[in-house]
Amino acid sequence: MTGTQWVPLALARDIAPGTSAGTMVEDAEIVVWRDTDGRAHAWEDRCPHRGMKLSFGFVRGDHIACLYHGWEFDEGGICRKIPAHPDLEVPGSICAARYGCTETGGMIWAALPLGTDPIEVPALPDAVPVRSITLEAGLITVADMLLNEENAVIEGALATLDCAHGPLAIGVQPIRPGTVALHITTRPGASAETLLAICDWAETLRRAAEKEIAA
Amino acid sequence: MSAPLLHNYDLDEDCYRARLVAACTGVALDLRNVDMFPGAEHRSDAYMRLNPLGTLPILQDETLVLTQPEAILRRLAALDPERRLLPEDEVIAARIDDWLAFWAQHLAVAKAAREIALMATPGDLAALSARTARMLRVMEDHMTHQTIRGLGFFAGPELTLADLALFPAFALSRDHGLDHDAFPALRLWARRVRLTPGFITMPGIPDYH
Repeated sequence: MTGTQWVPLALARDIAPGTSAGTMVEDAEIVVWRDTDGRAHAWEDRCPHRGMKLSFGFVRGDHIACLYHGWEFDEGGICRKIPAHPDLEVPGSICAARYGCTETGGMIWAALPLGTDPIEVPALPDAVPVRSITLEAGLITVADMLLNEENAVIEGALATLDCAHGPLAIGVQPIRPGTVALHITTRPGASAETLLAICDWAETLRRAAEKEIAA
Repeated sequence: MSAPLLHNYDLDEDCYRARLVAACTGVALDLRNVDMFPGAEHRSDAYMRLNPLGTLPILQDETLVLTQPEAILRRLAALDPERRLLPEDEVIAARIDDWLAFWAQHLAVAKAAREIALMATPGDLAALSARTARMLRVMEDHMTHQTIRGLGFFAGPELTLADLALFPAFALSRDHGLDHDAFPALRLWARRVRLTPGFITMPGIPDYH
């Protein structure tokens, strides 16, 4: 990867306020979480204390807390509370590493690699979430299959195409070699029937991609 | 009438299922804790007499001695006068049967994987964990479709016995190294299950609410 790239981590709908989830981009472990005010955050999934995954922990207001020893970090990634030392004024130097994070097109995006300063923030049209789906197949296999669809274009980590059930905008997340997650959205106003048909399209694509790998 | 007696080991996921169903239905349960690991008390003469399979949980209720997890869950759920986990609707009941059979026949790999990881029982952890991932994917696809249909649980709009039977295998999968990253619909479902009045946890399922 050269320069800064925006990578989708989840459908915005799937990270409810006050919850967190672990994910990966090219083997880098990331926790994506939403504070109780509704703001999304993407951090390195590692407590600076003992290296525990922060995604195993829990969200309290605008803090995320580690499950291991309860260290709490504020929105800026700075440790604010160490329960074992309740009277300690925590020095501001204990920090979790943060990714640039934004929400657009019905998805939560992180700027990779860690520590890069994103210049342009993508702005995508409003979209309705369909589902996220993980494929045990390589990025090139999956991209080729998406490009076989009508009017398919892949720009950065976003694929747009027309399937038989309507236009799709799909965030493509390379999890690790041989595993890709797709975050599938469609245009607003799609019926439940259409959304189920798009799910079927995605699950058929997954079968085909994984068959290709097995062959 | 005395409360049914559960021969229990706190770290066993089927024992947890029985405690969870009793807790969510308000059915009183007497517990007898068995030193399963490392003591192997469930294989003692007294226990082999009670259950020749040498497994836990065992539920004793009046003249009944039940040793099959599915039968134990059904019995506990049926003791609830409101039958809140076993609704009468025939279609929903058929779906509950289907998911209970899925749990008993196909999701048992999750328990086997966890026992290898935690209690050093022999077996192929990598193969069992991969198989568990396949089964969780079946559940993820189903819960994704249910959510689109506006149904929050496995058999319909309300929590049933199917959800409580399936929940532990998902909630405990990290014990054998299987993360929840690929299962967003199950994550949201597990959160709804946790909100059930009476819900209890076990070691490995954090209690952070």
